Amino acid sequence: MYQYSPEDSNFLVERVDQFEKQLKRHLAGDLDDAKFKSLRLRNGLYMELHAHMLRVAIPYGTLSSTQLRSLASVADKYDRGFGHFTTRQNIQFNWIELPEIANLLRELSDAGLHAIQTSGKATRNITADPLSGLTEGEIEDARPYCELIRRWFNLHPEFSWLPGKFKIAINGAKLDETALRIHDLGLRLVRNNQGQLGFSVFVGGGLGAAAMIAAETASFVEVEDILSYLESTMRIYNLKGRRDHQKKLRIKFLVRELGADEFSRLVNEDWQQTKNDPNLKLNLVELEQLKKDFALPIKSLNLESFEEKVDFNYSIWKKNNVRRHKIDGFSIVNISLTKLGAAPGDATSEQMRILADLAEKYSASELRTTKRQTIVFPYVRKDQVYDLWQSLEKYGLASPHQGTLAQIVACPGRDYCDLAKAVSIPIATRVQERFNDMKRLLDIGDLNINISGCENSCAHHHVADIGLLGMQKNGEEYYQITLAGETLHETVIGKKLGPSVSGKIIVDAVETIVNVYLKNRLDQERFTDVFKRIGIAPFKEKVYE
Amino acid sequence: MSEILQIESILNKDYESVDLVSFQEWFENVNKLSKLSVGIIVGPSDDVSLIKDQLDCIELIVLDFNNFDDGRGYSQAYLLSKRWKFPGEIIGINAHLDQLQFMIRSGVTSYVLLDSYLGLDEKDYANGFSICYQEAANNSGLQKKY
Ligand code: HEM
Ligand code: SF4
Repeated sequence: MYQYSPEDSNFLVERVDQFEKQLKRHLAGDLDDAKFKSLRLRNGLYMELHAHMLRVAIPYGTLSSTQLRSLASVADKYDRGFGHFTTRQNIQFNWIELPEIANLLRELSDAGLHAIQTSGKATRNITADPLSGLTEGEIEDARPYCELIRRWFNLHPEFSWLPGKFKIAINGAKLDETALRIHDLGLRLVRNNQGQLGFSVFVGGGLGAAAMIAAETASFVEVEDILSYLESTMRIYNLKGRRDHQKKLRIKFLVRELGADEFSRLVNEDWQQTKNDPNLKLNLVELEQLKKDFALPIKSLNLESFEEKVDFNYSIWKKNNVRRHKIDGFSIVNISLTKLGAAPGDATSEQMRILADLAEKYSASELRTTKRQTIVFPYVRKDQVYDLWQSLEKYGLASPHQGTLAQIVACPGRDYCDLAKAVSIPIATRVQERFNDMKRLLDIGDLNINISGCENSCAHHHVADIGLLGMQKNGEEYYQITLAGETLHETVIGKKLGPSVSGKIIVDAVETIVNVYLKNRLDQERFTDVFKRIGIAPFKEKVYE
Repeated sequence: MSEILQIESILNKDYESVDLVSFQEWFENVNKLSKLSVGIIVGPSDDVSLIKDQLDCIELIVLDFNNFDDGRGYSQAYLLSKRWKFPGEIIGINAHLDQLQFMIRSGVTSYVLLDSYLGLDEKDYANGFSICYQEAANNSGLQKKY
């Protein structure tokens, strides 16, 4: 697995040293709250309702067993023994004491982990398909590109103080597991007619109160030219983005105001000045090295004689949690952390250690994290999947929820977040309780329910089959329902069903929607396809009846 | 520590003979001013591309970094110094200690810190890193990487 060089690791330590000095000045009263806020956010540190929250990057969603153990140790030493895997390949710790932050970050840097630019108005952790390198038909593994682009925007002198945050996702696979068109900037690896590799560039996506799908600003940028193209995009944003209006900071508002065509024209005009600058060419020698570093650590196996175990529970779990690997003899195993009553994405330090050990034994010491807040073991031998399942069973980690409605994505909501208008996690729990029947879950099949506690949309409710958005009405918690959003096959923002529904009966509404779906479904039709066919009316009728 | 510390505060230089005018004033009186020794004060929302063909007649350019979170000055510094090769000094005024590393590497050639930072050790903040990740954006004597 790819690891930072000694120089890169040293850089992480230098970054902690600098932040520690800033923290000391702040604690001594020499650095005011507003400036310290800007600086701490760029080091991943938030102030929450009850304590400080630290967001640690899991670059391109790839972790080694050693790194996961380091996260477990941080959870024990500096938090209350758990961490929270987010929808954007980060992990968050919710109970951090300010004076301990430097020691914590130093400990992480030993494992090549950091919180640099995981928050604040700069380029954030760049996300990749969690199945990068594993699926058939992929153009290329996106991770080497993520790493080169991550480096480039690491404390970039010109682009570290942007109007708003800047999230980038890169996908090299057929299906879009990264949701790239709801990012500020999405890159899709493509080949042109001559078979050359390059990127399609999409700019100005984002959710929140004004959900927008990113516009394509370039259909093909050669690999070598991608840094200069990204720089030009960010330069236009940096100079022209709205800084005067708190709610219009993100690049999507600039793209909307200028129009996508005018925005691309400005980017192009700037790009013509730098496109041929040799210093801005992507370093192809380094790229080749990275491709080797990220190469899969497995070779195909001939397992023809192997016979799969027959076991009812195992087969249910396998159906939902195990996916086809492009390398013969291997499987991709998805592990759901979902437990009734616990926040989706939460993992205890004990679970992290168990997963680290199991990944060492069964998955070449590598794990991936996904936007559905699950853990992927990327390299499990087919003849060891059963053994892995037994171990997972033993530790309560063999939840067969992956790919069912019970795998709910929910933000921290009012339980932890001071921006929240309503709770999220308790709603997720109530939905899970309502559907706590494996037969029924299997019958329903894959259906996304995402719950955000306010318009900031941390749980991506706009792009779920069923999205719930918390709000306040007369001092009571209500939820707005959106239906049939998606990102995997195409990017669609869900349609509003109608007036928001009281928290008291929201689970009934969800159940009604599921029933309308089941009643109208033909064969294996997905929720979005049924919705396209029958429209919103049948759902509306039943929910508001 | 690296060479960037050779960049010195404006206070050490003798610019007494230079008249400073605002961006606005420059355009209003460009015919008269361009024959004199003039420096221009550029604010974050001023469009520097408007002076790119007049850089020969400008002695020095002052960029205002007073707003801690406003990153436009870094792009202005980049465009002036690297793209349009402005030969004179680009002076960052109202500078914050924690921003020096970004200012200097974007192309600011000297700076004046806000008073509130007097007495703190600039060296600690003007850089503090042994490598940088942007070869083209490297203006600081830092060791290059990638
Ligand atoms: C409790 C702590 C949190 C706070 C205070 C918070 C705050 C915010 C805010 C203010 C935004 C909107 C920013 C903007 O549009 O400019 C946002 C967006 C976002 N947050 Fe959070 N968040 C928190 C936790 C989380 C968690 C736990 C996750 C992942 C599960 C998450 C994922 C996201 C994502 C993906 C977006 C982007 C949505 C979009 O595309 O517009 N956040 N968050
Ligand atoms: S969606 Fe709102 S409530 Fe939920 S975590 Fe984000 S900011 Fe907080």
